[in-house]
Amino acid sequence: MKKTVRCNRYRPFNDEQAKMVHETVLRVLGEIGIEVNEEEALELFQKAGAKVDADKSIARFDSELVMKLINQAPSNVTLWGREEKHKIVLGEDRVCIGTGGTAIRVVDLDTGETRASEIRDLHDMARLCHHLDNLHLYMLPLYPNDIPKENVDLNRFFSGIVNTTKHVMGGVYTVEGVRDVFEMCSLIAGSPDEFRKRPFISMITCVISPLKMDSHYTKLMIEAAKHGIPVVCPAEPLCGATSPITLAANVVHQVTESLAGVMLTQIVNPGTPVILGTVSSTTDFRDMRYICGGVEMGMISAAEAQMAQFYGLPFYAVGGMSDSKVVDAQAGYESAMTTLLNVLAGANFVHDAIGLFDFALTMSYEKCIMDNEISGMAMRAAEGIRVDEETLAFDVIKEVGPGGSFISHKHTARNMRKEHFLPKLSDRNIREKWAAQGGKDAARRAHDLAKKILDRPPEPQLPAEKLSAVTDRFPQIVYPAK
Amino acid sequence: MTTNYENIAEAVRTGEEDVVQKLVHQALDRGDSPQAILDEALISAMDEVGQLFEQEEIFLPELLVAANAMKAGVEILKPLLGEDAIKSYGTVIIGTVQGDLHDIGKSLVSMMLERGGFKIIDLGTDVSPENFIQSLKDNPETKVLGMSALLTTTMPEMKTTIEALEKAGLRDKVKVIIGGAPVTNAFAQEIAADAYAPDAVAAKNIVRQLVGEED
Repeated sequence: MKKTVRCNRYRPFNDEQAKMVHETVLRVLGEIGIEVNEEEALELFQKAGAKVDADKSIARFDSELVMKLINQAPSNVTLWGREEKHKIVLGEDRVCIGTGGTAIRVVDLDTGETRASEIRDLHDMARLCHHLDNLHLYMLPLYPNDIPKENVDLNRFFSGIVNTTKHVMGGVYTVEGVRDVFEMCSLIAGSPDEFRKRPFISMITCVISPLKMDSHYTKLMIEAAKHGIPVVCPAEPLCGATSPITLAANVVHQVTESLAGVMLTQIVNPGTPVILGTVSSTTDFRDMRYICGGVEMGMISAAEAQMAQFYGLPFYAVGGMSDSKVVDAQAGYESAMTTLLNVLAGANFVHDAIGLFDFALTMSYEKCIMDNEISGMAMRAAEGIRVDEETLAFDVIKEVGPGGSFISHKHTARNMRKEHFLPKLSDRNIREKWAAQGGKDAARRAHDLAKKILDRPPEPQLPAEKLSAVTDRFPQIVYPAK
Repeated sequence: MTTNYENIAEAVRTGEEDVVQKLVHQALDRGDSPQAILDEALISAMDEVGQLFEQEEIFLPELLVAANAMKAGVEILKPLLGEDAIKSYGTVIIGTVQGDLHDIGKSLVSMMLERGGFKIIDLGTDVSPENFIQSLKDNPETKVLGMSALLTTTMPEMKTTIEALEKAGLRDKVKVIIGGAPVTNAFAQEIAADAYAPDAVAAKNIVRQLVGEED
């Protein structure tokens, strides 16, 4: 698997425009403010120096306070895997790609039927994603509809941890759940301190667009920050619905709202790892419903990545989805478009980019395979073109000369794998060979590849004694999930 | 296999001609028989590389650098073994048909056949039926004639060449195999060629079948 790649070639804003966005963000925070529907948070903001209108639960922030709290947050956040090779450092213009969530339906791999997702699907998704080379970070992509709400957080995180050694990020649903997950991870790491040193999970909470901190999610944010668990505080302004229709204003909303979350975590636990985040998107003008396959989503996310770099904050970007209901051409072109825009902008972690479609409500195993391929190609593009003596190859050009061939030259064999992405899904056979192999389209080939991985017996990625320690301590964990 | 042979095999796999040659000399210096070095080090390494290629673990340029490294070792052994000791499957005449200047695919097939144990007479590109026939007369031991075309407009030249072979009374003397991007198995049957190969590796295997030396 490729490590994160650096790239900042796509800049939606010039310097002047980025500054105008920043100034507007400061005006919104200073003049309009954020509605904070959680008492502890409002008090914390007030103590830190925000102007609080208690009647309306509004906190306003002057620019000095905003910049002080932003500067307190780390510019790079390390998301550890349980193997060294899966360690990811989010920040600056590094790029990586992963799953997202949280979908409530799954396309059953065996029947092809779209149905409510269950805990077994979370386990299967984690098993599949563990084997996808171009998926760097695993976000828990499904809601287990067959698990009681109070046990959901624990079961979701366990499904990731037991099946992959990649970093596991996930949304959380209850404060008790956050505590249980923290205890489970401490048990696996050896102690709470060991876990905090190398947190192999992170949590996602959210700020509500427009300009609102909800009581429940804010409690979760405070809880995660107290534990020192890396936390993402994304906002989801939707053009024309929860933000103005214009793309620049959508960016202003996302940055403003997510910054409010960042500031709160820094007040709760100064220096705690926090990630600026987005789920910004656009709407279908026929009924102003959320959509996730528009090219504008990629543009907005790329622009927000640029703002995150401006503030020196790590960024959780959004892309790689489709509004299609099946793994077809639309699923491919929409996903590829927004993933590519993000990675070319140096968006640190492109979430939602593997397996998600149908307005982000459904996960598909086949689409995971296809998106893994898109991710590999996009990462290759982000890597750019290496220019040095070896790659310019003057001596080779001279040696082969006019009319010659480079096919059997050592330079070709030496550089081919470094310079070119090798697809696993794309068909590059001549027509006759393709036909002889069944004349399958990409969706069918993706199905076969997913099946090949999931037909293997599950391999728990936790040592036996840790596994039994966790399942003994938390009998509400469903394992094995069938 | 001795350590030295393992090292030779590794150098073949990675295409290190210099290393292969150095190690072959070392093996000879310590008194190993040339035949043993050929069979146990060079050929077995190349067989393994061939398998990796068929499993798509390695790719064509990697296969070719390995073949070149093997050849570098064989060059040293050849004078010691005598020509007869190195098995040849026979002579193949190959060329791109008249009016077509495409070279890469045809040359690749030449290379694969040569590494696969055939003696190759490569007539190059833009080869007229007369030139093919002349070459056949000059090399009466030839078992197979290979033709390549990359253009749909030059494909009919394959038919013209086969008809010319018939007229010259040579059609029964050789097997004819054709290939090239627009060429299909159906076209091969239509013009009464003996075989069609979709790519260079397939070409090697099919030509071996044509001469009755199936692997």
